[in-house]
Amino acid sequence: MKQSRLVNVLFVAPCVFAFTMVIIIPFFFGLYFSMTDWNGVNNAVNFVGFKNFQSLFSSPDFLYSFLITIAYTIINIVFVNIVSFSLSLMVTSKLRRRNFYRAGFFVPYLIGGIVLGYIWQFILNNILVDFGNILSIKILQTSFLSLPHTVIWTMAAVNTWQYAGYIMLIYVASIQSIPASLMEAANVDGANYITRVFHILIPMMANAFTISLFLTLTTSFKQFDMNLTLTNGGPATRFLDVPVKASQLLAMNIFNTATANRMAEAQAKAVVLFFVLLVISLIQVSANKKKEVEM
Amino acid sequence: MKKKLLKVLAISLMFATISGLAFGAGTTEKSKDVTVNMFQLKVEIKDAIDGYAAKYSEATPGVTVKVETLGGGGDYGGAMKAKAQAGQMPDIFMIEGRGGYEIWKDYIADLSNEPWTADTDLAFTVDGKVVGFPVAIEGYGLAYNAEILKKAGIDPATLTTRAAYEKAFKLLDSKKAELGIDAPVAMAASVAGGMWWVAAQHNLAVYWGGGLDFNDTSIIEKALNGKLDSERFLQYTKYLQLLFKYADKKILLNGSYDDQVGSFAQGKTAFLHQGNWVDPNLAQLGVTFKIGYAPHAFLDVEEKGLYLFAPSWYCVNPKSPNAEAAKAFLTSIATTPEGHDYMVNKAGMIPAFKSVTLKPSGQLSQALMEANAKGGNYGVFFGMLPDGAGQNIFGPIFDLFAQNPDNTDQFIADMTKAVANLAK
Repeated sequence: MKQSRLVNVLFVAPCVFAFTMVIIIPFFFGLYFSMTDWNGVNNAVNFVGFKNFQSLFSSPDFLYSFLITIAYTIINIVFVNIVSFSLSLMVTSKLRRRNFYRAGFFVPYLIGGIVLGYIWQFILNNILVDFGNILSIKILQTSFLSLPHTVIWTMAAVNTWQYAGYIMLIYVASIQSIPASLMEAANVDGANYITRVFHILIPMMANAFTISLFLTLTTSFKQFDMNLTLTNGGPATRFLDVPVKASQLLAMNIFNTATANRMAEAQAKAVVLFFVLLVISLIQVSANKKKEVEM
Repeated sequence: MKKKLLKVLAISLMFATISGLAFGAGTTEKSKDVTVNMFQLKVEIKDAIDGYAAKYSEATPGVTVKVETLGGGGDYGGAMKAKAQAGQMPDIFMIEGRGGYEIWKDYIADLSNEPWTADTDLAFTVDGKVVGFPVAIEGYGLAYNAEILKKAGIDPATLTTRAAYEKAFKLLDSKKAELGIDAPVAMAASVAGGMWWVAAQHNLAVYWGGGLDFNDTSIIEKALNGKLDSERFLQYTKYLQLLFKYADKKILLNGSYDDQVGSFAQGKTAFLHQGNWVDPNLAQLGVTFKIGYAPHAFLDVEEKGLYLFAPSWYCVNPKSPNAEAAKAFLTSIATTPEGHDYMVNKAGMIPAFKSVTLKPSGQLSQALMEANAKGGNYGVFFGMLPDGAGQNIFGPIFDLFAQNPDNTDQFIADMTKAVANLAK
């Protein structure tokens, strides 16, 4: 049925209105405020050009947060995707109670990041340490959250525990959409399981990898809630001869800058985060798209 | 097709009318009575202040005081900014120090002519003008468990120099098993536990104000100009090192507020580095042993005072037409018996006004009130530092020092550098 233009416009209008008011306009306001000395209250806003941006890349805490965020993102992408892909293979095999496992692995995703952070903080700081003391296992006696070189890995592990179930569902859907005949044909031709996975399954589900890598990339880069409750940025470590917070990711660095009433500087950091994330994810998506095959 | 189009049009029209009506209704609401809006951040006194505001509104014809509370985990500063941008600036709001004043100074009235200003030492003043009403007195020393000290044979009255502390900590440490304690001190310094404020704010304030006159800000002003007093800071570093060395390591490096206070309440530590705000927590945890305050004596010479301050102040928005009614409400808190009853008995605070004769129930609050009456206490000046200095700059430095308390040179070097950056 041919639709009238007016109806289309009417249907789209509320959404466009909300999107413009909540995303587009604040975005450009943000760009503008990042080049001012605004403190969040004062109406006398002075334009200062790129001054906020210049000071960013000479401040050790921001540089450290930037690097640690990239490291965390890489660790996370690898962890989450390997674990979730393995889980998806498991729950699409002929395993008994596979539907139960599917639901089970997904459940952690339903727990909010804040609650999850507190739960894992308790496990890591108290339960594991007590185990270490009772069983005299040296490595468990100091919490993994209190050592600067283990804290990022621990955060990635906790995030994987939460997020792998969600990404698993994407892989499961993709595996199920591959015609069984392809796998059977390969089986008849004598290809073993590993060969089938690497030469048929993975190429056939390239679009699922595009989505999953994109999701893990963006969520890790913007990680905040679990960071706040699990580590609160701690412990301290030394970077460029200045004490900085070892697990303060970019989003938390922005938050801490803003709550210290340095609104314009925080906004400048947020703009940097946005553009870096934009560029990285565009590269990732276009690289992944090239690997996708059309049926 | 046409029918559908009509339907959509009708629906959108309906929405437009409803929203039009709603906005219209908002503008026509008018009344002669004055409503004073108060926005405050002390969650723990919410019920008390709501009750007092209701009583005041009842007793004062034509004035209604409405209190909104946001604090604890809430972002009070952010909410205030949103209100200001929306043109809904409250008539009474709170600031927590110099940083807040700088942000909001266009919205802060001169309160110098209010009757309560002569009755307090802790009003927020700028260039000789009073601009903030002190909400309460809070304060701290090193809280001790009198029973444990008695068993160990330590007289708390002798703890007035760093050397005396060192001796006491050593003694307690050697008798740990006998006394049933994990460590002599419950101290927290971790960024992870969110406890940077105990070390990098409250303990550091010992260096800013300890052993000086109550209003002597010379040391912190020197720091704001980029310099540490190296002789004094070395003594402070040695004291901090003592606290860190004899602290329960798990609490120091990872613990939360609950871990720290809980350990003291269970008698697992003999000293607690916290202020009188732990009184309700200790009562909740069923503490029955006697508690007192020893001074943070970090110098080689004797120090006997506690650290007293007003953690926050009420400010009045002069641009509001209700400013006078707001001032009258604050005056009633400071000057009427009902106001005093609210502060002490309902809210459990120590009032910053000398004319108040009521006594709070908590042991630490009583100790502070006694110290306040006796005099010779020290000021707490961390509120003069730029916003975020404690959390973002000093916090990690103290955390690193707690991880390795032997490295005093590094700590002094880090602090010297951080303070030099304050001047920029």
